[in-house]
Amino acid sequence: MPYARRGLLKAPSPLPGFGLSFGIMLTMLSLIVLLPIGTLLLRGADMGLAEVWRIVNTERVWAALGLSFRAALLAALFNLVFGLALAWVLVRYEFPGKRLIDAAVDLPFALPTAVAGIALTALYAPNGAFGSVLLDAFGVKVAYTQLGIWIALVFVGLPFVVRTVQPVIEEIDREVEEASATLGASRARTFGHVILPMLTPALLTGFALSLARSVGEYGSVIFIAGNIPMKTEIAPLLIVIRLEEFDYNGAIAIALAMLSISFCMLLAINLIQIWSRRRMGAA
Amino acid sequence: MQIEIDEIAKEFGPATALHPVSLSIPSGALIALLGPSGSGKTTLLRILGGLEFPTSGRVLFDGQDATGLTVQERRAGFVFQHYALFRHMTVFDNIAYGLRARPRKTRPSAAEIDRRVTRLLDLIQLPDIARRYPSQLSGGQRQRVALARALAIEPRMLLLDEPFGALDARVRKELRGGLRDIHDQTGLTTVFVTHDQDEAMELADLVVVMSMGRIEQVGRPNDIRARPRTEFVRAFISA
Amino acid sequence: MTPAPLSVSVPARPFRPATTEPVWLRRSLIVAVLAMLSVLVLAPLVTVFAHALRDGLAMAVASLGNRDAQSAIRLTLTIAAISVPLNAAFGIAAAWAITKFDWRGKAFLITLIDLPFSVSPVVAGLCFVLLFGANSAIGAWLVASGHPIIFAVPGIVLATMFITFPFVARELIPVMTEQGRAEEEAALTLGASGWRTFLTVTLPNIRWALLYGVLLCNARAMGEFGAVAVVSGKIRGQTATMPIMIEMLYNEYLSVAAFSMAALLALLALVTLTLKSALEWRHADQLAAARRH
Repeated sequence: MPYARRGLLKAPSPLPGFGLSFGIMLTMLSLIVLLPIGTLLLRGADMGLAEVWRIVNTERVWAALGLSFRAALLAALFNLVFGLALAWVLVRYEFPGKRLIDAAVDLPFALPTAVAGIALTALYAPNGAFGSVLLDAFGVKVAYTQLGIWIALVFVGLPFVVRTVQPVIEEIDREVEEASATLGASRARTFGHVILPMLTPALLTGFALSLARSVGEYGSVIFIAGNIPMKTEIAPLLIVIRLEEFDYNGAIAIALAMLSISFCMLLAINLIQIWSRRRMGAA
Repeated sequence: MQIEIDEIAKEFGPATALHPVSLSIPSGALIALLGPSGSGKTTLLRILGGLEFPTSGRVLFDGQDATGLTVQERRAGFVFQHYALFRHMTVFDNIAYGLRARPRKTRPSAAEIDRRVTRLLDLIQLPDIARRYPSQLSGGQRQRVALARALAIEPRMLLLDEPFGALDARVRKELRGGLRDIHDQTGLTTVFVTHDQDEAMELADLVVVMSMGRIEQVGRPNDIRARPRTEFVRAFISA
Repeated sequence: MTPAPLSVSVPARPFRPATTEPVWLRRSLIVAVLAMLSVLVLAPLVTVFAHALRDGLAMAVASLGNRDAQSAIRLTLTIAAISVPLNAAFGIAAAWAITKFDWRGKAFLITLIDLPFSVSPVVAGLCFVLLFGANSAIGAWLVASGHPIIFAVPGIVLATMFITFPFVARELIPVMTEQGRAEEEAALTLGASGWRTFLTVTLPNIRWALLYGVLLCNARAMGEFGAVAVVSGKIRGQTATMPIMIEMLYNEYLSVAAFSMAALLALLALVTLTLKSALEWRHADQLAAARRH
């Protein structure tokens, strides 16, 4: 009850149920999220930084980490541009089938990753519908190469930029665009100097979500990747391999490396975001 | 610049915003478009600024057909009802925006832009706010910055949509004089839209009373007060 | 008021409002975006069904009829039936505590709730293996007492819950923030009990957002692969969920069987999307808050 928890509450509330709801929240959060992640961190601490570094600092691990982050970064960059175009088209233009297209944007989110994985592989394999054309016409091999990994990551990260930017575009004040035009700016200049800065925080959020999702992605990648060590082996797969070899320390070290790199990237994006929000003069 | 509105009509789908209206605005005049909401005054202003295209009719600037000119080509200093300042730019960058948007060969140098913005800030009597963002300004300050931004492009005319509409009563009175002063200093043909008859009567050389997409009466404030030509005008100005 | 004679005629150009792009640009953007979306999203979807039906519908259905496939379907439904209601309960409790009260450390706690979004499913699975696996103290005791968590159903439930943990809370928090506390306070002044207030005032106000969150949570729960792959042990007929079965069948080159199972999950995804769109269409007002942030 409220009075019992006054230490935690900033102000007493007439509404009931704080103790109960807070209790359920904290218990479940601890059991499902904090305890498992805490265990990983604790096991890492047990090993010691030097040991973790010794395991991570091998050619195969670096190759896997590099591949995971590089492919995720490139996929998120592609989704940044494509997602912005898609969101713009969905908000500003009218065309037949628009509602269907709007719904289709969420398909990568709703489609299980394993399903996406085997479907993309079937499409881009050398004998697949797209793969055969690309191979014959351009000599480009997609499946079982890093290009295939990139396509899978573009697929899973697609909805994030669209869904974060779309509502912001809907709320743009048309007067601001008109003001820019009356001051002599071309449409391109208005877009670059007025609209884009307004969308930047949302774009960054979408980029960060897309990146976070892609870096750790496993299901949709392992089928199309080919999983050749040093070439097309992503970091999550290497963790699974280590686990299958019962090399727990190996798995822990790679997981910790992934977590810390993700953490640094998300922190950087957050800082850019705070900076760009402040530039907007948070009202 | 002299503005001629020749039989301008505007339909939005089935709705008629403007029946054909004609109006001649003498060069250097300060004109008020006065009327209740839905009278078509804002539509007419937006057609002058090139933000809407008339269904029929022509707009002439100094005798030359300007109907087909794009917004950018019109060079109309437009002040929006809610100012539409660029939130992510400082006051300085807002005012300099139009000058920087010019093609390279007519774009002033950075030093020249700096000089002009400073002069405009002096004109609106806010010399110290160049580094601030719009969110850090009061309503009255925002309105004056919007005015300075519109003046920076060396406009051929000044168009203002309810320039005092978003302000409280006290600031509104203060700024009326400010607009009159700026008009007198620049000599620009100025058209502003308002639903406040006091504002129109006090400020304008010529008042255009509009209702339901038609011009009811055009005249000097005193004439309109003394001799309202239609029942609508009589009722509206005595309200 | 006769206008001056036309001295210079301006070439007639189609008028374009200042807030739109030129027609050619609009058209090419639409075409480009549709083409991209077809290649990236629709083509894989079509592929799933095309491969499943390669040898006819009868073969596809038959491949789903064997014991292992049936067991995988049952297991996936069981996992969702346990983990989704639990996460819904968490989401409601968290949203109530977060939106109806002001307390210290709230922002930090919200960050913690979002944590599963940025943890790789494989790392999530690894965490549970370390916590409950046979090589840990708890795990050894669990195995000895005959209730193992890892390589068993409880582990799959836990891993699934971790992955889908933020979904319901994330939908409810913005909606309940926007709705404020006034209605609940009014109910209390009218003499309603706390539970009655929740059931008759709060719940009706958030039901569509709740359904929306449950829908997303369910889609992810039934489709989770990475985390489950790590904790399940992939024992056919026991701990192999539908996505795990897909992987096993695919690796055994049983393409029709793999794609038939995949088609079943793809159908589920399509149903989810249809319901989701219907909700967005019918109850845009309630969901708008969540979409804004």
